[in-house]
Amino acid sequence: MFLTLKAFYWESVKIFSKLRTYIGFITIAILIPMIMLLVRKYGFDIQSTAFRSLENSFFFVGTLINGLLISYYLMNVLWVHFPFFIVLVAGDVMAGEGAAGTFRMLLTRPISRFQVVTSKFLATFLYTAAIVLFLGICSVGVGILVIGGGDLFVLDKGILILVQGEALLRFLLAYILAVWVQTTVAALAFLFSTISNNSVGPIIGTYAVIVVSLVLSVLRIDALESIKPYLFTSYFEVYFAPFSNPIPWHEILSDVIHLGAFILIFYLISVVIFMRKDICT
Amino acid sequence: MILKTNNLSKRFKHRLVVSDLNLEVEKGQIFGFLGPNGAGKSTTIRMLLSLIAPTSGNFELFGGDWKTQGKKVYSKVGALVEAPDFYLYLSAERNLKILGELNGWISRNRIYEVLDIVRLKDRARDKVKSFSHGMRQRLGIAQAIMCKPELIILDEPTSGLDPEGIKEIRDLIVSLSKDLECTVFLSSHILHEIEQVCTHMGIIDHGKLIVQGEVQNLLRETDFFVTEVSTDKPQQALNLLQSEPWVKKVALSDEILKVHLSAECRPKLAECLIRNKIRVSSIIPRTSLEDYYLSLVKSESDK
Ligand SMILES: Nc1ncnc2c1ncn2[C@@H]1O[C@H](COP(=O)(O)OP(=O)(O)OP(=O)(O)O)[C@@H](O)[C@H]1O
Ligand SMILES: [Mg+2]
Repeated sequence: MFLTLKAFYWESVKIFSKLRTYIGFITIAILIPMIMLLVRKYGFDIQSTAFRSLENSFFFVGTLINGLLISYYLMNVLWVHFPFFIVLVAGDVMAGEGAAGTFRMLLTRPISRFQVVTSKFLATFLYTAAIVLFLGICSVGVGILVIGGGDLFVLDKGILILVQGEALLRFLLAYILAVWVQTTVAALAFLFSTISNNSVGPIIGTYAVIVVSLVLSVLRIDALESIKPYLFTSYFEVYFAPFSNPIPWHEILSDVIHLGAFILIFYLISVVIFMRKDICT
Repeated sequence: MILKTNNLSKRFKHRLVVSDLNLEVEKGQIFGFLGPNGAGKSTTIRMLLSLIAPTSGNFELFGGDWKTQGKKVYSKVGALVEAPDFYLYLSAERNLKILGELNGWISRNRIYEVLDIVRLKDRARDKVKSFSHGMRQRLGIAQAIMCKPELIILDEPTSGLDPEGIKEIRDLIVSLSKDLECTVFLSSHILHEIEQVCTHMGIIDHGKLIVQGEVQNLLRETDFFVTEVSTDKPQQALNLLQSEPWVKKVALSDEILKVHLSAECRPKLAECLIRNKIRVSSIIPRTSLEDYYLSLVKSESDK
């Protein structure tokens, strides 16, 4: 146990010593303020006609558009765009060592393969949590700073108006759920990374799976209904759940458990594969 | 017994790369594992280090079975397999720290001590990315000896080093074995290296062990003590020696006589030639592992 924790620490050091780890952080740090500044300068056109009619039929003091609303919309990047930063790192964690040949040294130390793969998995989770929360803090924080705070108007099954304090708590919950969602992505990339000996394969492989299952999740074809529970992307939208009233705790819990099952399965398969793998590189 | 393999075999797809290998290495030996390219040396070493699983057979490290005793035993083993690959984006010191920590614990002093031994102390804080191949090889050796192992397994430890480096590493291996009573298992295809450094050796070809034993004994047993003699009358000397009973074999090539005889008879040879008024300009005994090795590998492939 102690050795696993120690290995976890050093695996984290490895991840955070690599340049590719910072690609995501840097991109977010540049892109989010840029988006917020553009919105502040040129405004934001809400696509929803419902929202527009709402604006026409009620008299609002000021505008609906504030930093919180933009942050809320920005959460949509979590579907397909953001996972790239996860896959970039998680896909490299195992395969990178295989490709570089460093497993030869690492695995001849008195540490079991199970401990190696577990410590790497935990380090991958640490990175995932760090970058998702960074996105959350950046988008909400910079949003409030640049565009301004206020009440959050969300169109759910009706109009939901959250005062700023309440909205911030909901964002916190949403981003914690997003960490869990992205951990599923990370776990899948990790699994591919365990199989592969180069880090490009896992990136492409994970993306292919995400895109295909997202398409299947979104399509409203009856025949597909039965397979939806087996697609992890079906549970992705859980991070939008905190913006309903009342918060659907039961649904959230169920989604979290389902995602957890995917994470566990991906992890266990990785363990089994890695423990039996011949290190030939 | 520090290391023992029992019918150790490895099959990749359909190719049997190591077949029924039975090696025995005892404490304090410097064991040379010799074989041509592709013989299966690295594959064997990978199995010993549990990087790959044997297809059949097993091995024992420090008397314990590889399957039951777990990875703990590797805290007593230092190893370097094939190319010395480190985390390029980390410094030399950090690399050693990470690997040492997994061994239990490693002090900064010890890291600098081993870096000093391999002459990399002043580059400790540089990223390994900036190291030349030879420097990485040295770092690999530092890594192998860092945790004061009782058994060191090295796969072609001197590959890529300059002559000075080769000598340093060979001296280091010998001194580790002498001063720290370390057992060393090293693979090589350089015979000269084995002859100079090792006390024991095993020869492998096409995955099969051809012979193993004490280096000196293996040499003595064979008739590869070739004594090269140059004289003023080579043809006459040839005829003369052919009739002597203590000469096992004699041949003439390029005006040089190649005489096969036991070392004890060498003084007799000189005496005999001089007695017959043949002027001897040189007598050079060659105990060539090279010949021995080539003959074994050749006879093996003739089969
Ligand atoms: N992963 C693998 N898959 C298939 N064949 C392999 C694999 N690894 C090694 N081999 C084969 O096993 C044989 C032995 O390889 P090995 O690397 O053990 O040789 P070696 O004795 O170390 O040679 P060298 O002196 O060149 O280092 C070779 O024929 C090689 O092609
Ligand atoms: Mg080799």
